[in-house]
Amino acid sequence: MTEYLAGGTDLMERRLSGRSTGPIIDLYDRGLRSIETTGDGGFRIGAMVTVDTLATDPALTAAYPALALTAGALATPQIRRAATLGGVLLQRTRCRYYRNEHYECLKTGGEGCPARGNPGERAVVLDLGPCVAPHPSSVAMALLTYDAVAEIEDRPSKPVADLYGDGARDHLLDPSDLLTAVTLPPPAEGERAGYKRAIGRASAEWPLAEAVAHLTVRDGVVVRAGVAVGGVAAVPLRLPEVEAALTGHAPSEELFARAARLDWTPAFAETAYKIRLTETLVGDVLAQAR
Amino acid sequence: MRLTFNGSPREHDPGPDDTAADVIRTVFGATGTKVSCGAGVCGACTILVDGEPRVSCLLPAVRLDGTEVTTVEGVGGDHPVQRAFVECDALQCGFCTPGFVTEAVAFHDRWRKDREGVPSREEVADALTGHLCRCGAYENILTAVQKACAGAFDDREPVAARVEAPAKVTGAAEYTVDVTLPGMLHGAIVRSRLPHARVTVDLPEGAVRLLRGDVVRYTGQPIAAVAAETPALARELAERVAVGYEALPSVVDPEEARRDGAPVIFADAADQKNAPSSAEGAGFPGRWRGNVRSGYASAWRGRAARRRLDAAEERNAPGYFAATFTTSGQSHTALEPHASVADWRPDGLTLYVSTQALPHVKAAAAKRWNPPKVEVVAHHVGGGFGSKLGLSTDVVAAVELSRKLGRPVRVAMSRAEELTDTGYRPGTRSELRMLGTPTGGLAAISLDVSGHGGVSTGSMVATLGLLMYGFGPRHVRDRDVIGNAPPASPFRGPGGPPFAWAVEQGVDAIAHRLGADPLKLRRTWDGNRRRRALYEIAGELPLWRDRPAAPQTGRYRRGVGAAAANWIYTADLDTKVELTVRDGRIVARTATQDIGTGVRTVIRNAVREVFPDADIVVELGHSDAPHGPVAGGSRSTASVGPAARDAAGKLAARLGGKPVAEAEGVTILGERPKDRRGSAVPVSMDHLRIGRGLAGAVHVTEVEVDTLLGHTRVTRVWGGVAVGAIYNRAAARNQCEGGIVQGIGYALYEERVTDPRTGVVLSANLEDYRLPGVKDTPEMTIHFHEDGWDHVPGGGIGLGEVCTVSVAASVGNAVFNATGFRPLDLPIRPDRLLEGMPR
Repeated sequence: MTEYLAGGTDLMERRLSGRSTGPIIDLYDRGLRSIETTGDGGFRIGAMVTVDTLATDPALTAAYPALALTAGALATPQIRRAATLGGVLLQRTRCRYYRNEHYECLKTGGEGCPARGNPGERAVVLDLGPCVAPHPSSVAMALLTYDAVAEIEDRPSKPVADLYGDGARDHLLDPSDLLTAVTLPPPAEGERAGYKRAIGRASAEWPLAEAVAHLTVRDGVVVRAGVAVGGVAAVPLRLPEVEAALTGHAPSEELFARAARLDWTPAFAETAYKIRLTETLVGDVLAQAR
Repeated sequence: MRLTFNGSPREHDPGPDDTAADVIRTVFGATGTKVSCGAGVCGACTILVDGEPRVSCLLPAVRLDGTEVTTVEGVGGDHPVQRAFVECDALQCGFCTPGFVTEAVAFHDRWRKDREGVPSREEVADALTGHLCRCGAYENILTAVQKACAGAFDDREPVAARVEAPAKVTGAAEYTVDVTLPGMLHGAIVRSRLPHARVTVDLPEGAVRLLRGDVVRYTGQPIAAVAAETPALARELAERVAVGYEALPSVVDPEEARRDGAPVIFADAADQKNAPSSAEGAGFPGRWRGNVRSGYASAWRGRAARRRLDAAEERNAPGYFAATFTTSGQSHTALEPHASVADWRPDGLTLYVSTQALPHVKAAAAKRWNPPKVEVVAHHVGGGFGSKLGLSTDVVAAVELSRKLGRPVRVAMSRAEELTDTGYRPGTRSELRMLGTPTGGLAAISLDVSGHGGVSTGSMVATLGLLMYGFGPRHVRDRDVIGNAPPASPFRGPGGPPFAWAVEQGVDAIAHRLGADPLKLRRTWDGNRRRRALYEIAGELPLWRDRPAAPQTGRYRRGVGAAAANWIYTADLDTKVELTVRDGRIVARTATQDIGTGVRTVIRNAVREVFPDADIVVELGHSDAPHGPVAGGSRSTASVGPAARDAAGKLAARLGGKPVAEAEGVTILGERPKDRRGSAVPVSMDHLRIGRGLAGAVHVTEVEVDTLLGHTRVTRVWGGVAVGAIYNRAAARNQCEGGIVQGIGYALYEERVTDPRTGVVLSANLEDYRLPGVKDTPEMTIHFHEDGWDHVPGGGIGLGEVCTVSVAASVGNAVFNATGFRPLDLPIRPDRLLEGMPR
């Protein structure tokens, strides 16, 4: 299978471990690094723009603070400087079975999920099957809250949300599809945002769970809310019911606590703790975004 | 591609899968850039591309086209960051140092351009989060970068805190993975794909067999080794070796392995005898039953102990505590992997090896292969922690391949191999029962410990209970539960941290039940006068006195816990240090190695005490020198220090007050004088002598627990260490801080995970095996209690093990103090805290 090489932070590791063996098409000289404003006041971000740029570009951080906070919190400074927008959206799972040469699974071209019998505390809470590993893309999670749209070469554009949706694949694009850019609708004036991940160490770790939120408040009332979580399902997960519970109300601790309640049934005993963890994170990021 | 490499133009046409690190190390020959994790996690391979720090192990080499690349060699040697690292002792083994230096150079240069003043600790730590230091020298690294940014080293040479620091900050220090010999081949290991099987191997020409017999007992077990012109070709060749498997019933999980009817892994006495051991030296004798090897109970009035414990349990005595503690396996994760370069020639074997046991490797290689002569070289060793003590797979494969093929062969473990099959601290399950009284001491203790070291025996945890807390009745027993998983090995204070995890939490629990101050209670129970001094000092610390009186409420809770460590004192009494006056300088030599402990500096300082103005050179890492110690059992300092002092004294006597140059060409041999009043054990085992007296340490640790996210942050640690006189204060403090950092890793993050069905080690990369990072480093204060070792020449002993043993237990006690939840299982993961804490 041919694969595109963008920042290389995922692909090079899979090349070294033998997980990726097909031909590579290097995107280095394809451009795709521009950040432009669109006619309606939104932004179009090239797929080769780095995560570090998403986190630090003054125009982007002002326009989409939830995206910037998320991008700035992932991995390490070096990885952020190398990893690209397109790459982090279409990266492969971090499942420790997938990353281990001893196993084959449906994502390596084999069958089944060897992790299902031993999911561990890092697995999903919500089981879309057959894969039990959470989706790794924090940036995708943040983009969901902005209704971002992915541009794909020679194909119709589609919402970033529609890149995912299947527990069997890390994304739904064909191997030959090239994601070239992401467009975001016009930013909301006065939007505030929060991002947080639950990890064991202080930094540089894939999250057990993570949450992002942005709130736009007018005249003391939430007029727009975007809330999404990661680390809990095989797809990045937007929480429309939480957003709905916030919209039209005056922001308060009580509102946030009520809105952050998640009516989930854990797929595995090992990950039941993640429900409360995620509720806490959602409450925390809403408080940050207030 | 064309690029500017360290200031000079270069051209090279890389393949699409070549990484920048490959090209820099092998084509450009700049081996200062290290590769350790190969996955962008550890940062050892950091280079500057157009001034930006990048992990070169994930950077496609083609991306260097048109860029300006600077590696640690290109930084020069006089950069303020390098000077600061040298003077602030911001390194130990030095393997991660080039990566830290290049990253810090970029940070420093940016800071000096854009900002003024001193960056905060947090700002520096944020910039360095992509780097791991397994020795745990983070505190000094942060200080060094801050000082460099403050301009402290703009216009002056540093005073080196350790002898080899300049070589380590410039990339000049040569490690075994950097050794390239003319005509050298690369070896790769063929490993078992099944946890238990009878195998047949069709060895290709030029391959060597590593498996003895025809049964493999764990996934990843070495079967054979092959060699080729490049590491990639060797790996391909290894993949193609046809291994036939006849699967045998297997059992990986210790709880299943101990049950009746579980497949038996070592069926007969011969196999049992040949099982690998994780013990340092001889393990305890034992009886086998199925997969359980039981040691003989060591008891001191064992029946009285049991009677007292039963009675106390029945009447629910306040001083009674019983619980089952578990610990997970801990992987050493030295950042330089196990590696060997063997050069077998008709006149003898030259062996470059990343080892902490140079004299032992020489003796073992001579015995095993009997070449005309053996020369072992280990100039710099990128960490060991107990994992590099013997003829490991890399050594055996390299020697056998070189002997067979007539060319030098390098064998270096990948990170996955390193995390799978180079040993680990065995996991444990400890059943503890203790009865204490407020004034009368420890009334009784019973400790039964099962070690989970895969196919290895030799876990020794409970037995340490004979050496601490007086002479009350006690019953201790160690067992091994064998499973189809890779063998464990000694790890920094073998048995000590799991022992403390159970017993030191037991003491804390009893103090809590009795309403006693845990430090005062220990002082009542503990007869070790050195540790008693530490309890008194610790008890007066504001950190301890201001600890919360009871578990708090609210989301964020602070807690303070204390724990004590006990360790034996060992030395190699056969150690010799040779001094030669050469070109007016004093050259000190001994056949030992520096794994990051600063042993060169110990020797230099001992000689300098006698010759304060002389130019002293220390040459280690070569087996041609007179016998020196293995770096194990904390023995190095108390071995080389007195021997170096003896040599210096002899040289001074010979000179009779004349200048050093008068003795040009003279060679003097210093010996390790005996201790006053003898040793605890009157004979040495493999050069190891157990001396009189026990080393002590006390850790007082503060944590903050986020009770909603289950996150534990260690904020402050006081470490008191009672090992007598300190030979090199900077390096000793650095090592004690590293012991704390490693202990925090053991307490909170590090967990060896093995798939219970296939026996595959899942924590086989540095993303899934989590080492503590720079931002996990607490504020640390180290106190040395320097009395009490007057019977040892030089007045001081080693500290490498005792300084880490009690850390995890102190974290456990602090978590209890904060939350009221007693963590029984290591590591204290967020999910475990969230599920265990009272709501």
